[in-house]
Amino acid sequence: MATAGLKLDGVTVRFDANGDDEPVTAVDGITHEIGEHRFVSIVGPSGCGKSTLLNVVAGLQRPTSGTVEINGARVTGPDRRTGMVFQEDSTLPWKTVTENVVFGMRVLGVPKGERAARAREMVELVGLQGFESAYPSMLSGGMRQRVALARTLAQRPSVLLMDEPFAALDQQTRLLLGAEVRRIWGQTQQTVLFVTHDMSEALLMSQQVWVMSYRPGRIIDVIDVDLPDDRDAGVVSTPRFNDLRNRIWESLQKEAMRGFMAESA
Amino acid sequence: MTARVREAVRPAAAETVPPAARRRAVRLPGPAGAWSTAGLVVLAVVVWIAGSAASLWSEATLPKPGSVWTAFTAAVRTGQFWADCGSTVWEVGMAFAGGAVLGLVVGIVFWKAPTAGKIFEPYLVSFYAVPMVLFYPVMIVIVGINQWPVVILSTVMAFIPMALNTWVGLRGIRPVHLKLARSLGCGRRQTLLHIALPAAAPFLLAGLRLAGVYALIGAIAMEFTTASSGIGHRIRYLYESFDNATMVAYILVVFVISLALTSALALLERALLKGRSGS
Repeated sequence: MATAGLKLDGVTVRFDANGDDEPVTAVDGITHEIGEHRFVSIVGPSGCGKSTLLNVVAGLQRPTSGTVEINGARVTGPDRRTGMVFQEDSTLPWKTVTENVVFGMRVLGVPKGERAARAREMVELVGLQGFESAYPSMLSGGMRQRVALARTLAQRPSVLLMDEPFAALDQQTRLLLGAEVRRIWGQTQQTVLFVTHDMSEALLMSQQVWVMSYRPGRIIDVIDVDLPDDRDAGVVSTPRFNDLRNRIWESLQKEAMRGFMAESA
Repeated sequence: MTARVREAVRPAAAETVPPAARRRAVRLPGPAGAWSTAGLVVLAVVVWIAGSAASLWSEATLPKPGSVWTAFTAAVRTGQFWADCGSTVWEVGMAFAGGAVLGLVVGIVFWKAPTAGKIFEPYLVSFYAVPMVLFYPVMIVIVGINQWPVVILSTVMAFIPMALNTWVGLRGIRPVHLKLARSLGCGRRQTLLHIALPAAAPFLLAGLRLAGVYALIGAIAMEFTTASSGIGHRIRYLYESFDNATMVAYILVVFVISLALTSALALLERALLKGRSGS
């Protein structure tokens, strides 16, 4: 039995009424564990509180009630044991690739000599050799996300949080980058919590998929992905993949419809 | 989201450079641009020489280049010329530095305290339209007849575009950058120095350029009206004593100072914004 890398205990986040907005329970009493070095995806309809949950784990959002523990120690504020890759391009346009990768480490106080070595290593790991002194404006969206990933990995977080990191990219780039992230995870062995609304992406990437309901956000299904560890994009045509996908869709369908009705009302 | 913020901001802050324009407009001309700029100056001088030779205008309207050159070489041999230039440069420098620092600080404060920003913004913007020279008599009463009224009023003129640009630039920071700062546990100081100010740099530099221009305009105009020293004062004095050739020489000196100031700021801008083009 793996030790709990990440433990959520009754995590609830309620947002108070604000002007015309009604009070919203974004996350409702989520109690779950992720073993160390495991890769878990959360799928759910838009507005289900996936991102809120990630923010709670990162310590950016204080839960209304409940606790988050990483390796047995509670998260009380912005936590350097976590590293977050955002959906939007978060590279700093005034810094080169290497400077961007170094930035996180610098803020976290990693000694100078070590920063350079780690930056080199991470730039190589995400496949950006040759672009070390390029500015983000010269790179494609996919490459910028690689920079953000390298920056986050260089911080050596024990929990890697990814908030729809490929959502702004085209389909092919998504597939390629998804495979890259899996390969990298195979080497770095972080605990990963990966948020997406793409069921196939969730199945391709992770060992376990949590299906989240529309408000209030609860985990309504947990699916262990028993696809081969060395799966590639070809796995989508296997019957097992289809079974798993159908099972997710069964849970998700109703929630997606509920979310759609509520958002368009 | 960012686009909407900028949109909302634009009408109020009339003197800020719109994001689309700032990427191109602010760049120094490349080699081709530099040549054509120089060519234009040469052309103007040729027209000046030819026009004067052909007596298209009288010597009283615009003296011949030769007369202006003679007047100029005579002027630079006097201590007064250097005293006037020194006085103006000092005033412009003080006003620029003071306006830039004050504007930066106020811009940051408005960003941190949006309510204060909302209250003061309309005054700041309408203050823009008030000719500062109107306050000159009041300033003389307060600080006396010396260089300080010029410095103070030019500082105010330089301060306004700097404050507005800083504020707009900071409000336009992409939320993900601030979220990144938060996720890394950056303190206020770190967020400001490592994220906020660099992210707003295109606006800060645009503000700086405007501050430089306004400081110069302010100083010369104030000197011209009432001061007892400086290039502006000298131009008016020469004008009143019908010494047109020397007056034109002084006007050209203002051109040169203005060119030096704006080129220096453009170079600074180019150095600090390298890598950001085309994003």
